[in-house]
Amino acid sequence: MTSMNRKPWAQSSFNFKVQLALVSTIPVAIGALFVILGGFDFSIGLIGVFLPIQVIVVGVFGWLKAKKRGLGDALLIFFTIFFSTLVLVLLLSVLGSVIFEGFKALTPHFIYENNRYVGTTTSLEYGGVGHAILGTILIVLLTTVAAVPLGIAMAVYLTQSQSKMRGVVRTVTQSLAGLPSVVAGLFILAVMQFTHLERSGLTGALALFPLMLPTVARVAEESLRLVPADLRMAALALGAPNHKAFFQVILPAAKSGILTALLLGLARIVGETAPLILTTNMNNTTNLNPFIGPMASLPTYVYNFLGSSYSSSQQRAWGAALVLLIFVGILFGAARILGRKKSLKTSKKAK
Amino acid sequence: MAIDQKSGSELPQRRKLAAGPLSKGDKWFYRATAISANFAFVLVALIVVFLFVNAWPTLSSQGISFIFGDIWNPDAKNPVMQLGPMLWGSILVGFSGVLLATPMAISAAYLIVYLLPKPAARVATTIIDLLAALPSVVIGLWGIAVFTPVAISWAKISNQLLGWIPIFHVKDPNSAFTDSPFIAGWIVAVMIVPIITSVTREIFSQMDDGLINGAVALGGSRFSVFRKVILPTSSSGIIGGILLGLGRALGETVAILYVLQLSFKINFFSVLESRGGAVASWILARFGEASSSEFHGLMAAGLVIFLVTLAVNMVASFIVNRAQPWRKN
Repeated sequence: MTSMNRKPWAQSSFNFKVQLALVSTIPVAIGALFVILGGFDFSIGLIGVFLPIQVIVVGVFGWLKAKKRGLGDALLIFFTIFFSTLVLVLLLSVLGSVIFEGFKALTPHFIYENNRYVGTTTSLEYGGVGHAILGTILIVLLTTVAAVPLGIAMAVYLTQSQSKMRGVVRTVTQSLAGLPSVVAGLFILAVMQFTHLERSGLTGALALFPLMLPTVARVAEESLRLVPADLRMAALALGAPNHKAFFQVILPAAKSGILTALLLGLARIVGETAPLILTTNMNNTTNLNPFIGPMASLPTYVYNFLGSSYSSSQQRAWGAALVLLIFVGILFGAARILGRKKSLKTSKKAK
Repeated sequence: MAIDQKSGSELPQRRKLAAGPLSKGDKWFYRATAISANFAFVLVALIVVFLFVNAWPTLSSQGISFIFGDIWNPDAKNPVMQLGPMLWGSILVGFSGVLLATPMAISAAYLIVYLLPKPAARVATTIIDLLAALPSVVIGLWGIAVFTPVAISWAKISNQLLGWIPIFHVKDPNSAFTDSPFIAGWIVAVMIVPIITSVTREIFSQMDDGLINGAVALGGSRFSVFRKVILPTSSSGIIGGILLGLGRALGETVAILYVLQLSFKINFFSVLESRGGAVASWILARFGEASSSEFHGLMAAGLVIFLVTLAVNMVASFIVNRAQPWRKN
């Protein structure tokens, strides 16, 4: 289907576009005037002045164009754009504030130094998140080593086998994706009660495991499903047993999708806070052994320093949040680029 | 038909395939995947068992009042731990979040699928997915430092205009409007908008074009097509998405902890009052200084919130899977 069919109403004349531009800018201008000249609070200007004027103007415009039909259409489009803009503004506000505040704390030494001798009031010239970055990387790697093979195996079960249990497994896996992160932490704590495991990086990694597994399984399942069935059939017809068909044909074909699964799984857990607060101890020095001793991580670092009201601590929290956000951004961006490559390949094939 | 049924010997010998359908390697391959898949059940069972064993001392001594009562006094001689206000608070915050997020999510999905040109739609999808990837501690940080002042002014306006409705009523007129379920609801909404949007977008984009073209050919306007064709056909999927979001909202921990005053004085509907509850945040808030009796109580709280979210998510993914038949093989 072409995009034309999807929007049978999409044609519009130049004149109409000019009118539309007027309709959409006049209320904004009036609202802005009220805020600037009337000294209103921005929220009051938005909700009390701009919104009613915009609704009325858009409604009148629609009514003039096509009576009742136009009214409904105009309001639908206006509210769609209004709410979507709200989402965009919220997201940009989150990103903008973290980047803006975080950059104040971000210096080279903030990234590689650890926090030895740093208290809540120590100025930002000393100390940094180096130990927390290393801790996060180690903990997350430990989780990945366990969760990725298992997640891929689940995806294989969901796509390659003919079992009748697939639907149930899929539902349970998806429900696990909604596991509250604090419960994952409590679960590992309960396990620690029985096994006498000490709090360390390992317990933190274990607590992240149930959170990563469903994400990896779901994304890997989607990517395996995108591999044309012909490939598998061809391999089987040439006499390859199923496991060889998988490892030598399907897995290479789905390579970028599997990598995407890995990256999105990492992005899912790298910022998880509650499980790590419950199962690891905060540490101010670098610890490279995830099996013994306390281990810092970026989310718990943010959490700890946000708890104190001193401005230097708050700055540290913002700085660490920015570092965390950069991590997430890198993982997410890499996943996007891989995903785009994949879709390009399939679309070429389709031609 | 030509073969005589009685003399089976005339049937040709069964041919031996070069690669049997289940060679030894394959058997192990499938066994391994089946074991990993069943690990999902094992994991759920393990979580329930371990939490239950640790929660048992509290559950057995408190009984049903653990869920409905409203006293939390773990260090008395006879510890009383009742989760009522927190549980109700979770539900209140969850529903506020869903109410705020649903219009935003449906609008964003409609915009992406039906209004934007393809390249812009791809960018918008990326933006929504990025919102989903934001860590909750970052959202909490933003919520307390940036969003709370804005939300306070919104809360004041709604109280002044709509204060006569019980929901927006505040007992103390000079209230600060901070730390309310209203703010927590907004924070949660920011976190669940991408979940609802991605489910809704998928359903919208897989909708049968013939339905829409038919409705337009019959003289439907954009609005009537949306209300009479798009919404009814996709409603079950949207509800599934909303439930997925609700499940996430009920389990949200860190972000809510920053922006909500946790209180055992139950707050039924007044979303602008500066007190509320959230089970997951309560667990995290109390955990650091918990005595051993309170530890069991927190485990019980974890068990309760786990079972609630598991039930919500199960129903949600069941609905979503049924609404997306193209996902089945």
